Amino acid sequence: MSDNIFVEAGSFQLNKYGNIACGDTVLLHKFPEQERCIAVLSDGLGSGIKANVLSTMTASMAMNFRIKREPILRTAQIIMDTLPVDSKRNISYSTFTIMDIDVNGETRIVEFDNPPLLLVRNGKVCHINSETFKINEKNGETSYERVVKHSLLSLQKGDRLIVYSDGVSQSGIGNPNMPFGWEEGVETFIEELIKEDNNISARDLTKKIVKKAEMKDGLKSKDDTSCICLYVREPRKLLICSGPPFTEEKDKYLAEVISSYDGKKIVCGGTTSQIIARELNKEIEVDMDLDKIASGLPPESHIEGIDLVTEGIITLGALGKILEEDKYNEPAKDDAAWNILKYVMDADIIDILVGTKINVAHQDPSLPVELEIRRNVMKRIKFLIEEKLLKTVNLEFI
Amino acid sequence: MVTVKVCVGTYCYLQGGQQLAQWRNYVPKHLQDKVTFLGSACLGCQEDTAKPPYVKVGEVLIERATSEKVVEEIEKQLEGNLEL
Ligand code: FES
Repeated sequence: MSDNIFVEAGSFQLNKYGNIACGDTVLLHKFPEQERCIAVLSDGLGSGIKANVLSTMTASMAMNFRIKREPILRTAQIIMDTLPVDSKRNISYSTFTIMDIDVNGETRIVEFDNPPLLLVRNGKVCHINSETFKINEKNGETSYERVVKHSLLSLQKGDRLIVYSDGVSQSGIGNPNMPFGWEEGVETFIEELIKEDNNISARDLTKKIVKKAEMKDGLKSKDDTSCICLYVREPRKLLICSGPPFTEEKDKYLAEVISSYDGKKIVCGGTTSQIIARELNKEIEVDMDLDKIASGLPPESHIEGIDLVTEGIITLGALGKILEEDKYNEPAKDDAAWNILKYVMDADIIDILVGTKINVAHQDPSLPVELEIRRNVMKRIKFLIEEKLLKTVNLEFI
Repeated sequence: MVTVKVCVGTYCYLQGGQQLAQWRNYVPKHLQDKVTFLGSACLGCQEDTAKPPYVKVGEVLIERATSEKVVEEIEKQLEGNLEL
């Protein structure tokens, strides 16, 4: 695959109905500054805490060995030899699937006993060809033969890899119209979802699959249900501009960056939006929705060609607070800070352009609140988005 | 008709603009259908001598705006219109 690839990793899990611990473990690892991305799904024998311990051990070992590029078979052998033996069933057992997408989309897949991994390409679900290896697992007198599948493939833009635990494929089991569960129905369901929305994110897709499985079990999942999707696609970009440039000569540059940016665009700040409107020859229209104004944050405005225009420091401060206090997964409110957050959540790469001119008026000591220096607010927001939302953020000062 | 622009930029918003922006709900009856109500992202408070909040009535910029000052200015301008 040519130019940069971007992999969106998404997953969703539900516990077996009534269980507090999930017997499946999902681990996702992205290497900053690199194109590599590894995902592991492990399903521990049984359910509850015991299964959780087994799958956590398995997934962590698989992930760490994979990061170090240890040979596949050795990895599988060590995992099987290490797992504790279940006292009742007298076997040690936990499935795993490893997906390792490396530079240029070169991908290595190792599968052990999970439902087969699916490759979705051009809207169609396909199964991949794999080599099989046999591994002997000794347990006292008895020895079990285990089969591990290994495959290499080259991913292209638009491809998705999907793997789920048997909680998905066996959901609905025992219903007269599906005696063995959902089975291949999952594949048709995935194709339908993609047909409906070709760009559906990994996050949404996995959630929809797991929720559907839960429905098949009458909303009381009979097993832990997990799904991972790795989606290779064009990164979604977001530009946030805030603050007037330090020197006026840079106003033009700011406007150019905005108008030529290929992604979503947000402008935060009254003076900033006026500079941009002036340079681009557009009107600013302030949205005087009185309910919103009463609720606390300054109102949004509209400039043609910009996705969202808000006030600056107060709104950004509120955004920082949502992130800091881990509120970002709560139901969204309808105010400017939450609206910025919505764009941030949907983006993969966020470019922040901060004008560093100080607004003298903001230094007024009679202001009821302390207005922080924009530069610092933005640095903190960059840090929070990277830390909490795991996105790539570039910060530039002008 | 008179256009009233209330600034809801950072500085004004914190110094009374938030309340002024909601004042539309309380515009005296006799003026209600005579004013167009708009917001502004900033009416130009760049110096350290700025006197927020700002409201612009027609072409007149009002400093340290209050609803009384705004009403007064609207009435003044409407009267001026009548005389014309
Ligand atoms: S913020 Fe109101 S005039 Fe600048």
